[in-house]
Amino acid sequence: MTVVLNEQDTKFKYDVAEEPGGENIKLCFACGLCTASCPVADIDPEYNPRKIIRMVLLGMRKEVLSSNLPWLCTQCYTCQAHCPQNVKFSDVMKALRSMAVREGYVHPSFVEQIKEIDSFSQKSRHQMVLSIVDKKAEELKIDPAKLAEEALEKEKAKV
Amino acid sequence: MEEVKIGVYVCHCGLNIAGTVDVEEVAKYAATLPSVVVSRDYRYMCSDPGQDLIKNDIKEYGLNRAVVASCSPRMHELTFRNACQEGGLNPYLYEHANIREHCSWVHDDKKINTEKAKDLVRAAVRRVYHHEPLEVKEAPVNPNVLVVGGGIAGIQAALDIANGEKRVYLVEREPSIGGHMIQLDRTFPTLDCSECILTPKMADVGHHPFIELLAYSEVEEVSGSIGQFKVKVRKKARHIDESKCVGCGICEEKCPWKVPSEFEMGLAMRKAIYIPFAQAIPNLVTVDPDLCVYIQSNGKKCGACIKFCEAKAITPETLLNQTDQIIELEVGSIIVATGYDQFDPSVIPQYGYGKYDNVLTGLQFERMTCAAGPTGGKVLLKDGREPESVTIIHCVGSRDQNYHEYCSRVCCMYGLKYAHLIKEFTKADVYEFYIDMRCFGEGYEEFYKRLSEEGVNFIRGKVAKVTDQAVTEEEKGRLIVVAEDTLLGRLIRVPADMVILCAALEARADADKVASLFTLNRRADGFFLERHVKLDPVATPTDGVFIAGCCEGPRDIPDTVAQAEATAAKALSLISKGKITLESAIANVDETRCLGCGRCEEICTFHAPKVISKNGVMVSEINETLCKGCGACAVVCPTGAMLIRHYKPEQILNQVAALTEVL
Repeated sequence: MTVVLNEQDTKFKYDVAEEPGGENIKLCFACGLCTASCPVADIDPEYNPRKIIRMVLLGMRKEVLSSNLPWLCTQCYTCQAHCPQNVKFSDVMKALRSMAVREGYVHPSFVEQIKEIDSFSQKSRHQMVLSIVDKKAEELKIDPAKLAEEALEKEKAKV
Repeated sequence: MEEVKIGVYVCHCGLNIAGTVDVEEVAKYAATLPSVVVSRDYRYMCSDPGQDLIKNDIKEYGLNRAVVASCSPRMHELTFRNACQEGGLNPYLYEHANIREHCSWVHDDKKINTEKAKDLVRAAVRRVYHHEPLEVKEAPVNPNVLVVGGGIAGIQAALDIANGEKRVYLVEREPSIGGHMIQLDRTFPTLDCSECILTPKMADVGHHPFIELLAYSEVEEVSGSIGQFKVKVRKKARHIDESKCVGCGICEEKCPWKVPSEFEMGLAMRKAIYIPFAQAIPNLVTVDPDLCVYIQSNGKKCGACIKFCEAKAITPETLLNQTDQIIELEVGSIIVATGYDQFDPSVIPQYGYGKYDNVLTGLQFERMTCAAGPTGGKVLLKDGREPESVTIIHCVGSRDQNYHEYCSRVCCMYGLKYAHLIKEFTKADVYEFYIDMRCFGEGYEEFYKRLSEEGVNFIRGKVAKVTDQAVTEEEKGRLIVVAEDTLLGRLIRVPADMVILCAALEARADADKVASLFTLNRRADGFFLERHVKLDPVATPTDGVFIAGCCEGPRDIPDTVAQAEATAAKALSLISKGKITLESAIANVDETRCLGCGRCEEICTFHAPKVISKNGVMVSEINETLCKGCGACAVVCPTGAMLIRHYKPEQILNQVAALTEVL
């Protein structure tokens, strides 16, 4: 299918370059080292980091952000470690993911789900930390809540 | 003092200045300043009619000071000083105001620009009022030239100067001259044999009456400046009698001790007493004192070479007691041609250099195809078989921000040359992995076309890894090269028997030491910096020191030779003139204030001040040929006795005062 360049979003590459991690996207000279070292590209011929960068540079915003391509990266950082132009492709993928969410290319239910997973994992982590602290406190025979209160009192006294 | 009459000239520089500065208004304003008798604006002050304005006004108005407000003084200060001199005015009664780089090129607002230009002109006028005429002195030039480095660049430069019947000292740190070029087999794109075209030049150097060859020597110390450098060279001990050795090589044959040969890139062994290669110049053996058992055992063991040397060039005396010699030279100019190092690809683990036997660097492959090389000119694998498939990887360490950002310029072409040689010597398939094919020189693109016709498989893609992890039967026991064919958009695996890495050219590991020795600057990539990348490519910021060849950056043989010839022309033109103009704006001691404390002597990098006894009083004295006028001594002088001519306190302070005035 022919890509008509003046129908594309020429701002896209600048927008990606503005995102944290996307700074060097315009430096790509298409050597293909990212693709050749990518474990995903090894098993999925549809996934080609070099082509994704090319699509960004040509301004194919809708095609990139609405596709599932940005979500296939395993974030193994092999491409990023070896890239001769320091394009930081793993970080570019993160930038594309957040742009896709922000610009509404991702179904809201998916975003909700991510939020739920995020909050669930935060809670789990919190509880895990708490249980470790409680166990330690029992061994040392101290009350963590009381310690916190005392510390707070001290600070208040200073003020 | 006679009445000061200043002329001010404001340059349009086409639209470079006039586009964003109201030059007419600046000129009108300048006319109102004290002591200014004439003020003009002109389209191009640096043109002949522009310079004539100054000369005519000196006659007509009796000007005794001039100010030009134009570009950077680096560009045209000298132009206008000369114009003043031609008009009959001392060149130091001139001041330059930079209203282009400091004004029109850095701000957009025309109104503010015009105000700033007025400030700069006012400051220049105030400064020039206090200028004094300075005497312009000359010094003779020593007609000898030092060439450092005996590769093709150094050889060519030395021959060109010596053919002009001027004395050249050629210093080379290895036992023989020849450099990297003598290691090469053929040269692209004509496929001339490198030895065949270089050895005649090497031989010429060896017996040229005007070249003194100091091989196996290193420069230790450089002092002085253009026209009169003093150089100390350490001539390392070869532990033989150089006047008797005929280079027959019998000692080398009999010597039982071996290490991997540096010249053969580790593909063959050399002895403890050796000649690096057959056509070495000078044709003398050299003893490696760390390896020689006779030297290590203090004469108790071995001694085979002493026994077999018919010329009696090797004796217990030469082996045990010969020491380095220090030679002192006096030269007028120096040509630095210290070359490059090959990038070590073992720092890229995914390419397997040093891990797999049949992964080679470019220079190793050069030695392999060379008829006099370790395999006698055969392309062979480590186990002695002929390869059926060879892969050449471009840009190893070049065009890669993890290693060297620059393009090494020669790898595409030597990669193509290897492909041709493999096709010539073997029946192997050749795969060439490149990012961009850069074939820019004379006959280079035609060579690429020739290789395409010869059936080389060109694959556009950077190799991700070289591995021995086979996934198919065919891959077993071979090296597998993995890349993306970016033109096809698919992953490629090439089973290969041999992999050649086109390793980058990088700055010498000791480039920092050489730079400080000759007061050179280095670019961020480590190579030496030329004075101007386009218009002064072989000069350096240090007058009288020139650079040629790969020490300035990667380049091929034709470019290196052209540069070497350019340095020779520079050196010869200096000798031909026979004298140099000394800087007049240099340090000057007010002896009534000087305490003779010697702090100026300590700080000066050019060894210009020296504390001497004058009528029983210790005072500092400046050697005017060495002083560069940098001002370091004036800063450390505790009494203010040290003054820099043309940068005296009243000149600087009045300029600053004019700038800081609120009008």
